[in-house]
Amino acid sequence: MFLTVLFFLSATLTIASGIMVVVVRNLMHSCMALLGCFIGVAGLYVTLGANFIAAVQFMVYVGGVIILMLFAIMLTGNKPEEKVGSFLLPAMGNRRTLTWGLITALVFFLSVGKILLGMFGIGLGKKTAPTDPSLFESTVDEIGTLLLTDHVLAFEMSSVLLLGALIGAAIIARPETSKEK
Amino acid sequence: MNGGLIPYLSGFDWFNQTIKSTSAFLSFDTTSLLSFLIYAVFASLLVFLVLMPIGGLGTYAERKISADLQARIGPNRVGPYGILQFLADGIKMVLKEDIVPVGADRFVFYLAPLLAMVGVFMTVAVLPLSSGLTMVHLDIGVFYLLAVSSLVGIAVFLGGYAPNSKWSLLGGMRGASQIISYEIPVVISVLAIVLLSGGMSFDVLVGSQGGLPHRWFLFHNPFTFLAFFVYFVGALAEANRAPFDLPEAESELVSGYHTEYTGMRFAFFALAEYVEVFVLCAVAAALFLGGYNVPGELLKDHPLGQLLQLGAFFTKTLILYYVVIWVRWTLPRIRVDQLMTICWKYLTPIALFNLVGCALWMYCFDGKSIVSLLFESGVGAASGGH
Repeated sequence: MFLTVLFFLSATLTIASGIMVVVVRNLMHSCMALLGCFIGVAGLYVTLGANFIAAVQFMVYVGGVIILMLFAIMLTGNKPEEKVGSFLLPAMGNRRTLTWGLITALVFFLSVGKILLGMFGIGLGKKTAPTDPSLFESTVDEIGTLLLTDHVLAFEMSSVLLLGALIGAAIIARPETSKEK
Repeated sequence: MNGGLIPYLSGFDWFNQTIKSTSAFLSFDTTSLLSFLIYAVFASLLVFLVLMPIGGLGTYAERKISADLQARIGPNRVGPYGILQFLADGIKMVLKEDIVPVGADRFVFYLAPLLAMVGVFMTVAVLPLSSGLTMVHLDIGVFYLLAVSSLVGIAVFLGGYAPNSKWSLLGGMRGASQIISYEIPVVISVLAIVLLSGGMSFDVLVGSQGGLPHRWFLFHNPFTFLAFFVYFVGALAEANRAPFDLPEAESELVSGYHTEYTGMRFAFFALAEYVEVFVLCAVAAALFLGGYNVPGELLKDHPLGQLLQLGAFFTKTLILYYVVIWVRWTLPRIRVDQLMTICWKYLTPIALFNLVGCALWMYCFDGKSIVSLLFESGVGAASGGH
């Protein structure tokens, strides 16, 4: 009961604010809608019993990505009319982008459709029943064990990737003093 | 949700009776609905009756202690020793006109104080006030707390951006950069403690310590001793407290990100700040100072034991709270470059060193504390030497 209510609240929040992100023309408001979308997704993880992933979602996306986006928005707009919105953006569609967009939308629609149809028992796949959320228990121990045993290579690779990104950012941000000397 | 609540409540007759009658009326099983409602009422009572006064009394304590430190008297008109001053302030805040600046982004302007409040009050859900009085026994307790409190950073930034004022914007920018920078040493220091106790739930973290100082994580080994100070300095900066209160530096920025806020919206920011300080002190007490553990485990299974535990918890937390205020009125504000130097050149490397040190300590000494190592070797020498 409680989980059902939580699911519908989070799903509504996710979808509604996801639409808002695209529809709203003010970049700042769009960013706020994205914040709502991320919180909704965190709620969805909670209904699945994946507390750890929900907290990571909060930590990384709400605490990191949104703040980075806000900084990026603040640092870009220099004309007064562009400062709070994307009013002066030229129309983005030409034939190439539209074709690729259409293909992407089609693939996305088909894959989502397969899952949704499977849920209602129509179509190709066999009926996938919604799993009982109370089956899931704490996932923290398992995530920790798996990360450091089976998936340790991927774990270390991602840390190398992040280190590379960090060093790259430091090099880009460093003022160029060596050329003047 | 709260796993312990339904079994606890089903021990009472009135609860089962109510479930039966409402289930018959609504024609579905209302167990979880009812326990959710009871839980929600309890949580809001806790927020309103405990945390609001803590935030309010925080402002009173701040003024009174600052007055003591500066050899003044401080508020002394409303109630005995001026202790009702915060109620008078609250009434004044409600009566003030709610002004929105002309150039403001209204939606974001309204959103920012709410985000600050929500972010801070969500952290309260996992605070271990006593072994029985923890609202949610979450398996990721301290991680949840750190994750949720990142909403405050966004709120500070938006509070700076929305009013379209230069003072606010500078304050908000400083606040956001400061909060995301100091999150790193704080999280790494917490990680060292998580490593020692082997769990992120506050039950495990507090439960693996003891009542007396030699069993606290603060004195577990030299690295945790350092980690405590790294955490505390980082927490001061995260809550925008002096000497790290650059986001609201009065002499430069009027009052930073809440310059343009009036009335209750300003009160939301102020309340969020004071409750956040309380929460950060409570986390420090729970992680390093033994939390709610009472010395000698007095009355452990007796209901009165809960009161003793509450007493132990609040004593430690409020002493730390006093230290925070004391630091504010003692040290001058640091500069922006010093702020970043302290975080990136000192605290972060020290915190990483602590983390590695704790891991090595766990590996070499099998997780024993320094006190038990010394004590055991002393006993061994005394008994085996002669």
